[in-house]
Amino acid sequence: MENIQDYIESGILEQYALGELSAAEQATVEAQAAQHPEIREELTQVQQALGFYAEAHAITPPAGMRERVLANVMARIAAPKTSSTLRADVDAVAQANSSTTATPAYVPQPSAAGEAVVRPMSSAPMPAAAPAGRSSWAMAASVALILSLAGNALLYSRWRDASADVVALQNDKAQFATTTTVVERKLGDLRQENQVLRSDEFRAVALAGTKTSPTAHAKVLFNAATHKVYVDVRSLPALPADKQYQLWALDKGKPIDAGVLTVATATGEGIQHMKDIASAQTFAMTIEPAGGSASPTLSTMTVVGNI
Amino acid sequence: MSDNSLISLPPAAEADLVRRLQARDESAMTLFYERYSAALYGVIFRIVKAEDESEDVLQEALVKIWHAFASYDPGKGRLFTWVLNICRNLSIDKIRSRQHRVGSRTQGLDDSLTAQRQAAPTTFRPEHIGLQEITQKLIPEQRQIIDLLYFEGFTQSEVAEELNIPLGTVKTRARTAIKVLSKLIR
Repeated sequence: MENIQDYIESGILEQYALGELSAAEQATVEAQAAQHPEIREELTQVQQALGFYAEAHAITPPAGMRERVLANVMARIAAPKTSSTLRADVDAVAQANSSTTATPAYVPQPSAAGEAVVRPMSSAPMPAAAPAGRSSWAMAASVALILSLAGNALLYSRWRDASADVVALQNDKAQFATTTTVVERKLGDLRQENQVLRSDEFRAVALAGTKTSPTAHAKVLFNAATHKVYVDVRSLPALPADKQYQLWALDKGKPIDAGVLTVATATGEGIQHMKDIASAQTFAMTIEPAGGSASPTLSTMTVVGNI
Repeated sequence: MSDNSLISLPPAAEADLVRRLQARDESAMTLFYERYSAALYGVIFRIVKAEDESEDVLQEALVKIWHAFASYDPGKGRLFTWVLNICRNLSIDKIRSRQHRVGSRTQGLDDSLTAQRQAAPTTFRPEHIGLQEITQKLIPEQRQIIDLLYFEGFTQSEVAEELNIPLGTVKTRARTAIKVLSKLIR
């Protein structure tokens, strides 16, 4: 008995009565109620309490509603009868009527008459029974079709909503993936930079501003063993769009191209991996036409520094 | 409390109505309307909160009740319970499809609470002892939860979220409120 009480206390009967449960859960509750009278009793009480609450909020419907609603409902529940079968029914009833006038015990009445009419099947006139049976099948089929169409429309609209949601989620996911890729790439760059900056093999070569631009300042990281060169800009004068800074390594006085600086590097956003240099004693930067030159324009030398 | 059987028919009359509906007696729908329309319309209007839409829902409900009547099992519960559930479900479907168009659930609650406050004077029937008793016996917290569950179609979890109180509290208050209502019937 204790677990029955627990079941009642769990609040599932209230959820059932309020229509919160899935079809499967409803079936479970109904099975429990059928098995245990206490649960059945409690459920009835909950349902009656809610019914009472509903009744307490009764509103007399607005004037004219009764006629409108009843007329529409009557038309709709009778609608599938086509006029021809209705005609046939009426004819059949009329025929049956005239043939059974001798027995006043059975008088077929239009169903609109207020009181219930009990019509035992055995006494029903056969000619009337056949078309009525057919039309009620037709009615049932039409109703099934209408319900099915309505169901399809509902499912279709739900499906459309659901697929719109899926598309939205996929977009979000794609956007997130793109962001992640960008972040990962940046993280990879930063890791590499960090490795270079922390490595003992790299020698930092400070490049100081020349007379033409005394505030310019940059740094070259040079690994004599692996020949790798990185450049790290602190401050360089801004350049017109058709000019680029180019890094040169001077080996025994001979200038060797170490590559041009990207705009990002020149503005100090990060370090840049330059061309490998086998041997150098001095690094310098000049201003060259975009893309770089084969040999340095010495008059535009901005920064220079010795190892 | 004679008032409480105003709409819920006495068992014999209900059994008769059920028999006529099972026998596909269309004229029984008129009787059905006489007996239940005020209660059903009241619930529908509380949920849907617009006269014309409530009328549509009531009409849909009556057609559905007629067509689905074979699935009503008198052994499982009262006719009133069954038809009430059909009306509530159709009404809740109606407001959900509307809210889906308009936007968030939260907005729905705000709207509905305002609508309820506005609707109260016109829907309150002073001759109706039931509502007065309910107002006296249920504490505001209980009534709020019952209204959200019953007239707004919220699940218990949604109520907990909306009011920012634990689910257990919602369950307890709902159960207590329903117990209070049960006592009022007897």
